[in-house]
Amino acid sequence: MSATIVPEAETGAAAAVRRNFWRGVWRVMRRKPSRMVGAVILVVFALMGILGPMLYPDPLPRDTSALYAPPSLRHPFGTDFEGTDVLALVVTGSRYVLLTALVTAAITVVVGAGVGLFAGFRRGRWDTVLMRFTDMKLTIPGLPLLLVLSTVWKFTGAVEMGLVLGLLGWGGVARAVRSQTLSLRERGFIEAARGLGLSTTHIVGRELLPGMAPYIAMNALIAVTGAVYAQVGLFFLGVLPFEANNWGVMLNLAVFGGGALTTTAALPYLLAPLLAILLLTLGIVLVVDAMDEIFNPRLREE
Amino acid sequence: MAVLLRRLAGHVARGFVMILVVTTISFLIIRNVPGDPLLARYQKLVEQGMAPDAAQRAVEALYGFTPKGGLWEQYLDYMGGLAHLDLGQSLSVPGTGVSTVLFSAAKWTLIPVLAGTLLSFLVGVVMGVYAAIKRTGVLGDLLAISGSLLHGVPQYVLALLLGAIFTTLIPILPAGGTADIVIDPGFTADYIGSLVQHATLPVVTYALAGYGGWILAMKSSVVTVLGDDFILAAELRGMKRSIIFRYVARNAILPLFTILALSLGLLFGGSIFIERIFNYPGLGLMLIDSINNRDYSLMGGAFLLITTAVVVANIAADLLYTVIDPRVRSGGEAA
Repeated sequence: MSATIVPEAETGAAAAVRRNFWRGVWRVMRRKPSRMVGAVILVVFALMGILGPMLYPDPLPRDTSALYAPPSLRHPFGTDFEGTDVLALVVTGSRYVLLTALVTAAITVVVGAGVGLFAGFRRGRWDTVLMRFTDMKLTIPGLPLLLVLSTVWKFTGAVEMGLVLGLLGWGGVARAVRSQTLSLRERGFIEAARGLGLSTTHIVGRELLPGMAPYIAMNALIAVTGAVYAQVGLFFLGVLPFEANNWGVMLNLAVFGGGALTTTAALPYLLAPLLAILLLTLGIVLVVDAMDEIFNPRLREE
Repeated sequence: MAVLLRRLAGHVARGFVMILVVTTISFLIIRNVPGDPLLARYQKLVEQGMAPDAAQRAVEALYGFTPKGGLWEQYLDYMGGLAHLDLGQSLSVPGTGVSTVLFSAAKWTLIPVLAGTLLSFLVGVVMGVYAAIKRTGVLGDLLAISGSLLHGVPQYVLALLLGAIFTTLIPILPAGGTADIVIDPGFTADYIGSLVQHATLPVVTYALAGYGGWILAMKSSVVTVLGDDFILAAELRGMKRSIIFRYVARNAILPLFTILALSLGLLFGGSIFIERIFNYPGLGLMLIDSINNRDYSLMGGAFLLITTAVVVANIAADLLYTVIDPRVRSGGEAA
C-alpha cells in the first residue's frame, strides 16, 4: 500500500533482537559439542553435493581388471561390478539425493506453512476443510502410494522427484504450523496488533512468522529427511528406471545384483551408501536437537 | 457407552471415506496406466478369435470391471465388485482371485509386524522411563541420541545392516523366505523352528525401527507428567519414591497407546522394504511384485488392503485411548 516509515529506534531494536537470537543460537550450539558435529556434517554433505561431481571425471573411470575389488588405499570402499570406485559413486551420487531434498524442502515449507497459517489464522470452515484434507493425506500410507503412482507417473529427474515428494509430504508441516498458529493467535501481542488495525499480511508476516521460523525449519527438516529416504528407497526397490547415479541405485545393485546379503564380495559396495545415509541422519538428528532447544526456551533452563 | 458408539460411528464414517478415496485412486491408476492394459487385453483376445462379448467378460473378470462403457459405469462396476470383496483376477497368478492371493499374504505381514511392534513397545517404554529420569546425565543423553538416531534412520538401512551382519559376515540367520523349503510345512518342531528362525531378522528390524520412537515418546511423556502438580503434591506429602513412580508411569503411558496403534498402521505401509530385503512374502512384497509384473488388479488390491490396515489401526488407536483414559470419556460426555 504505502511505504512504511520505520523510526530509527525501532530498526535498532529489531537488529538487537536479531543479534541476540544469533548469539542464543551460538550459545546453544556451543553447549554440546555434538551439535557442532551435526552442523559440520551437514556442511560437508552440502559441499559434497555442490562440488562432488566436479572432483571426478564425468564417466567415472572403470577398471575391468578389478571387479568388486576389496577395500584398499586406492579404493577405500572397493569397486562395483564394473570396477568403478565406490567412494566416487557415493560422492557423485550425493548431488541427486540432495537436490531432491532441496526441492522437497522448498515445497514442504511453502505449502505446509502456507496451509497451516491460513487454516490456523482463519479458522472456521476453511480450517475444517483444509485439515480434513491434510488428515487424509497423512493417513494414506505414503510409500505404497508412491509405488502405485510410479506406475503411471515417471518421476525420475531429481527436480521432478523433489516436486512429487514435496507435494505428498507437506501434511505434517501444515498440521504442526496450524496448531502453533492457533496457540499464538490468542497471545496478547497478536491481539494488540489486531486491535491496532494492522493488516493480516502484516500480522502473519511480521508478528507470527518470525517466532515460528525455527519451528517450521525443524519440521521441514524432518519432512525432508523422510523424503530423502523415500527417494533412495524407491530407487532401491527398483521400481523407477535407473537414470542417474544415486545412493538408492547403488543399494539396489549391491543387494539384488551383487548379492551383498549372501556373499561378502559386494559388501563394501552396500555399506558405503548405507554409511552415507547414516551420517546424514546423524547430522540432521543433532541439528534438530539443537533447533529444538533454540525454539523451546523451557528446555534451555534445565 | 453412548459416547463410545458415537465416536466409533464418526471414525468408521471417516475411515470409509478414506477407503473410498484410495479405491478411487487405484481405479483411476489401473484405468490410466500407459498403454491401457485393459484395452490391449481385450483387443488381443478378440484378435485371437474370441467373440467380443466373451472377450469383454474375460477382461471384466481379470480387472473387476468392463473396459467398455463410460468411465462412470466402469467405476461403479469396480466398486460393486469390491462390495463383495471381488477384486478381480490376478494377472500374474492366472486363475486366482486377487483377494485369495492377498489374504494368504496378509498373515506374513500381520504376525511379524505385531510381534516386532510389541517387542519394541515393551523395551522402548522401559528405556524411555530411564531416559527421562536420567535426562541430565550422560546415560540419558546417550539413550536420547540413540533413540533419535534409530527413529530417524530409514527401516531399509536397519534391515540392510542387520542382513549384512547376520547373513553375510556372520552367517547365522537365513537370508530370506519364511521357512526352509526342504522341511514340510506342518505342526512339527522342525517347521516351527525354521519359521521362527526365518522371521527373526524381519521381527528384529521392525522392533529396532519402532524402538527409537517409543523411547522418545515415553521420555517426553514422563517428563511432562513429572512436572504435573499432583506429583509435586505427592512429593511434598513425603510419599515414597516408588509409589510416586507408579503414579508417573501409569499417567505417562496412556498417550502412548494411541501411538501404538498408529505405529502398527505405519509399519504395515513400511513393511515393503523389509519384506523385499528378506524376501518375505507379505503384502509389501506382493505390492512390489505386482508392480514389476504389471499386475494392476493385484496392485490395486494390495494398496487397498495396506490402507485399510492403516485406517483400522487409526480407529483402534482412538477407541483404545477412549477406553483407557477416563478423562477423554468424561470430557466427551460433558460436551
